[in-house]
Amino acid sequence: MLLVLSEEYKEHLAFLPQVDPAVVFEFGRIAVEFLKRGINSKVYDGAARKLGFPITTVQHGVEGLMFLFTESSKLMITDIDFKDSVMVLGFSTELNEILLQILCFQLYVENQTTIRSTLTQLAPSLPSYHNLEWRLDVQLGSRSMRHQVVPVVTMLLNLTMGTSENRRCCLQTNPSTLLHLIAVLEAALASMKNNHARRILRNIK
Amino acid sequence: MRFRFCGDLDCPDWVLAEISTLAKISSVKMKLLCAQVLKDLLEEGIDYEKVSKLTADAKFESGDIKASVAVLSFILSSAAKHNVESESLSSELQQLGLPKEHTSGLCKSYEDKHSALQDKLREKSLRLSRLNSVSWRVDCILSSSELKEVNEPTVHLKLQAQGAESGSAETTVVSVSAEKFRVLLTELKQAQAMMNALQ
Repeated sequence: MLLVLSEEYKEHLAFLPQVDPAVVFEFGRIAVEFLKRGINSKVYDGAARKLGFPITTVQHGVEGLMFLFTESSKLMITDIDFKDSVMVLGFSTELNEILLQILCFQLYVENQTTIRSTLTQLAPSLPSYHNLEWRLDVQLGSRSMRHQVVPVVTMLLNLTMGTSENRRCCLQTNPSTLLHLIAVLEAALASMKNNHARRILRNIK
Repeated sequence: MRFRFCGDLDCPDWVLAEISTLAKISSVKMKLLCAQVLKDLLEEGIDYEKVSKLTADAKFESGDIKASVAVLSFILSSAAKHNVESESLSSELQQLGLPKEHTSGLCKSYEDKHSALQDKLREKSLRLSRLNSVSWRVDCILSSSELKEVNEPTVHLKLQAQGAESGSAETTVVSVSAEKFRVLLTELKQAQAMMNALQ
């Protein structure tokens, strides 16, 4: 499947054919580093000074390459599709074109798995179970009534939301509700072993 | 097979697997490793440098080091949790395949720190909001915009608690009139009498 590249994008990468393939390779490497570690704008200054291009051009070029890599990794593009998509950018001579394509493709293939793992972390995540602490208490009396015996189970549920803050949820229940809770959860676990679920899991694998 | 130190349940598979890893180091090193793990459980800080030096002879990789620390921490904390005596712990560990010298070293360290461990675990038990401090002040209201001579004593109470769900300190400030405060004090004294009766 081909990448759809907009006009603005082609403009951003228009200066790439005018520089050496070595520089393009360096830009590609910088783009991959930025995808792993985050953008460091001091690198743009250095590169712009060395090449004599304005900073915005360099920035657009590197960001354009980053976009190319993330889109290709996201769609898991094959060899031929990648080359066809890049050809649209209109690199000048035949030699340049082949070199650039090979270099870009090498970078893409080497870093595909790391880029994909970074992209999976960006997906939204629901709060998920991390830890459960519990205690069993007996209420012996209160202001309104003395000489009671009321057992209470208190639970503190620790949830994580991806890499961001942890949520703590405090719950209290009496033992009969707790038994019902256990029965419902065990039924849920057992439903993973019925024929319907097994058929689906077999087909996914 | 039911084990008392696992709370009368089956022993987890990973514990069985890692006991054979533990058997690879010498029993003296194992006793020192137990001492380090006990320091970690009592929250005195574990020295990972010493741990890696102790396991260096048996050429443990980082995965093996983590596994042996984890299995020792599980055994010691769950034995303290279920209040197991050191002889029954020793016989159960030997049933699982830990050699005799290692078992006796482990049980000796467990016995030494048994009550300290239980106290630490009791401290770590779930508590909802904890009261950190109380401060009070008695004022006398002389006069107000509503009435010229008021002359009423009030108590200002500042309660600092640690919230259960938020985990951070919460401050509550209340001002209580004399009669309400008397009622509050009587009720709290009754609750204190009930608590003392239990002890």
